[in-house]
Amino acid sequence: MARTVEAPIEESRIAEEHQAVDDSPWATIVWNDPVNLMSYVSYIFRSYFGYPAEKAERLMLQVHNEGKAIVAAGGREQMERHVEAMHGYGLWATVGKATG
Amino acid sequence: MRGFERTTEGALEAELLAEELGVLSSMNSQLIRLLSTGAAPDDPAMQRLLPDAYPDDAGESAEFRRYTEAGLLARKLENAATMAQTLEVAAGGASRRGAARLRLDPEQTQAWLRALTDIRLVLATRLGITAEDERPAPDDAAAAMYDVYDWLGFVQESLVQALG
Repeated sequence: MARTVEAPIEESRIAEEHQAVDDSPWATIVWNDPVNLMSYVSYIFRSYFGYPAEKAERLMLQVHNEGKAIVAAGGREQMERHVEAMHGYGLWATVGKATG
Repeated sequence: MRGFERTTEGALEAELLAEELGVLSSMNSQLIRLLSTGAAPDDPAMQRLLPDAYPDDAGESAEFRRYTEAGLLARKLENAATMAQTLEVAAGGASRRGAARLRLDPEQTQAWLRALTDIRLVLATRLGITAEDERPAPDDAAAAMYDVYDWLGFVQESLVQALG
């Protein structure tokens, strides 16, 4: 994979400041666990988030195969509400930053 | 058990044996006991039921807990209470040969999905299950508990499939 060329200090500082004001998006992350059934996880993504079956299935498989998936992004309070709901369903979910 | 099927009135219905109702009921009582002891933060099962919302930030996780934990615990207890109540109704209507019809309306179904999941999460923690398809040797003392865990997964799958 190609290495990223680092920006000169001045530019990266500006970028950082910009990001701070920018209210960069938060994320709801669902993690894989050995207990929850694939069908149940997919059902939750459909019924709670209202995702179409295909998207719900894709996200469920991402959780299953890659260990986690960002299932929603947006404001922090909204992400905390999603995570609380996921904990209600018994999924292992956390709040994180949508960008790396 | 004959798995869940949708009835014409939009409810879900399954047929269970008296001993199957007993297993569900006893597992559910254990969940209720665990949830009723309040927050036992050192119990790994409770940690799994109410995981840290911010894995890299203990302060933020504690703050999240402060305003979500009581509500989550109350709702989990409500779900378990619904499960207990529907099991009782089913057991009350059991036939002489011990088969009982369990009927769940949409709201009760939602409670069941969550309570069954919580029971399985607790069992998995107690069994030390960390990977899918990890089962103890048949002669292991935990084998019977694993069979229950496995069967509860079957019940859950049947419920989700019936929801479509």
